Amino acid sequence: MDIFLEALLNIIDPVTLIYMVVGVGAGLMAGSIPGFTIAMAIVLTLPFTFSMPPAQGLATMISVLVGGLSGGLMSGILTGIPGTPSSVATTFDGFPMARAGEPGLALGIGVWSSFCGGIISAILLVLFAPQLAMVGLEFQPWDFFMLVMFALTVTASLAGEHLVKGLIAGAAGLLIRTVGEDDAVGVGRFDFGSDYLLTGFDFIAVLIGLFAFSQLLSDLRNPVTARNALSDRKQVKVKIEHRRAIGILLKNWVVVIRSALIGMFTGILPGAGGSIANILSYDQAKKAAKDDSKFGKGDPRGIIAPEASNNAVEGGALTPLMALGIPGDITAAIMLGALLMHDIVPGPTFIKDEPVLAYSIYIAFFLASFIMIGMQSGVLRVFVLVTRIKTYVLATVILTFATIGVFALHNSIEDIWTLFFFGILGFVMRQFGFPLAPMILGVVLGNIAELNLARALAIDADPMLFFVRPWSLFFAIVAVFSMIFPIYQKHRNTGSLLERLFSPLVLFSLSLPLFMMGGLLRTALAVAAIAISSTILWRRFGSQSKA
Amino acid sequence: MLPAYLLNKIIQQRGLNMSLNRDSLVALCLIMLSGGLMLASFEIREPDYGVLSPAAWPRLIIIILGVLSVIYLLQSIRMPKEAKDAAPRKSIGEFILYWRNVIAVFSIFALYLIVLPYLGMLIGNILFSFILLTVLGGWRAILMHLLVALGASGGMWLLFTYVLEVFLPRGSLTGL
Repeated sequence: MDIFLEALLNIIDPVTLIYMVVGVGAGLMAGSIPGFTIAMAIVLTLPFTFSMPPAQGLATMISVLVGGLSGGLMSGILTGIPGTPSSVATTFDGFPMARAGEPGLALGIGVWSSFCGGIISAILLVLFAPQLAMVGLEFQPWDFFMLVMFALTVTASLAGEHLVKGLIAGAAGLLIRTVGEDDAVGVGRFDFGSDYLLTGFDFIAVLIGLFAFSQLLSDLRNPVTARNALSDRKQVKVKIEHRRAIGILLKNWVVVIRSALIGMFTGILPGAGGSIANILSYDQAKKAAKDDSKFGKGDPRGIIAPEASNNAVEGGALTPLMALGIPGDITAAIMLGALLMHDIVPGPTFIKDEPVLAYSIYIAFFLASFIMIGMQSGVLRVFVLVTRIKTYVLATVILTFATIGVFALHNSIEDIWTLFFFGILGFVMRQFGFPLAPMILGVVLGNIAELNLARALAIDADPMLFFVRPWSLFFAIVAVFSMIFPIYQKHRNTGSLLERLFSPLVLFSLSLPLFMMGGLLRTALAVAAIAISSTILWRRFGSQSKA
Repeated sequence: MLPAYLLNKIIQQRGLNMSLNRDSLVALCLIMLSGGLMLASFEIREPDYGVLSPAAWPRLIIIILGVLSVIYLLQSIRMPKEAKDAAPRKSIGEFILYWRNVIAVFSIFALYLIVLPYLGMLIGNILFSFILLTVLGGWRAILMHLLVALGASGGMWLLFTYVLEVFLPRGSLTGL
């Protein structure tokens, strides 16, 4: 109780509250402007939080995150252009509803769905993170190393057909982190006699360069669109209809909960974020509807599903971060950067060792959702003003802002050079179709992977332990199958051998480490996995041989 | 690029229906980079203490990167011809015209970084944002660009210097 009170006092401190309000407002704005992503907003917030106490800094970043997740709906509903990839599906029904004369209702449904999704995922985060951390206490260095490899491969696999490019990006991210003095023994690596390289790249400057700078360059590439404003609307006379929206949400509570659960689960998976969750939950809402004829024409369920799920994603993404120290998506990876910046290394003992900070994160998550509701109407007016600013003006101001922010990290001009170099690299990678998410994860997790590899080999030099320890084997199997997954997706509905064998093979393979872990529950899960895979195999091959 | 030229020659001599494209060139660059970094990894000092050599982890990543780059190269060579021909070739003039905004941002930013120690962050940022705004937006709105540059850069300088108490660099020439 004392811990909770201490955390609460941390968050309701007037200065922290002001930062949170500013953060939610900034997030709402960033989320609402197409081309300016939530990750970019969070990464740009990072330098500001450097001088703040950890709880205050994280509360500010969480506020930007919650605001950003909800901001995308404003642009999507009012202009038909999604503010962020996580609100793409919101436009399917939000924009038609707004055009049909109900923009206030569409916004109300979106805002309250976001709120509900955020609150549900915050509750699940409080419940699940400590449980997952207890599982994480079983992990040894071999298991952590494999967990990082799994996080990288699964993120790369999201590149679909471009899996190899995704894996190259992940490996490049890991390699970038090796430049400079080795953490363990202090030996310089790839410094080529340069003091700048010997100190290594500041990873926050790398993240801002890779993500924000390169994004701005992409937005400015076309000289015509760079001189355009997002919208030429002088004003929008919209009043958010809260009461009617709440009524509709109560009627469709099943859609709200299902979508929030989809978002939460998607967020827990490393690499998968709001951009996947909103489409997935929209699709599920449509499939589950008795009458789906109104979908795409302004059906409220088509707004509820994506908005509830994209806000729930972050509760999911923060769960493995807080429980295991492994981020669930790019934004959580940046949060990990914020924690590392304050010399806090999250892991299975994080919630136990830093309970006040953990509770501060929970409370900030809840509170930010309430602030978001309160600020939507006000920000709507500012949004209209911001959308009238020309892209090149906005981009130049943000670039200047990023430059000062990066300098403020260590009062070093070298960090601005890092921002510049990685801005170019990120932009070139985008142009050649390399996904940036695996690279960012590689940069953030590179040290953790190397540290655990060194620890594992210090305990026992046998490399086979990476493949015979239960959890390590579990992650290795999931990593391998995550790499095969894009090929499986390509062969879906073709009746190929891979399509028929993939899911039973996954289940059968995972049963092995589950058996090795022992205990009643895990043995039961292993037996169930074998039973299900056998049933699938029998259905797919047995029935054919009979025929 | 010599390796790309030689590979194209070999492909043509063998009468294969393949040709190098943009992806192949990127893959070749990555292979060469992996090779160069592998050589550089032998320059890493080996201390007498510690279990894991400081060069071991980077080498492991370089090997993985090299293997992936070879796979990428093979994939790009086997890519269907239609996919390769999708992007029309550009002359140098067209290339510069197409990328002019990006080239402008890179050049102005590099110049800004070079003069930053002499001009300081306040003057440097005002000049940088004003020049960039004018290059990207044209001369017509020059007054607006000046106001935005002064307002945004000056505002941020005040915020960081007086609110966040961050010491921003002063210029050796300007003293500001």
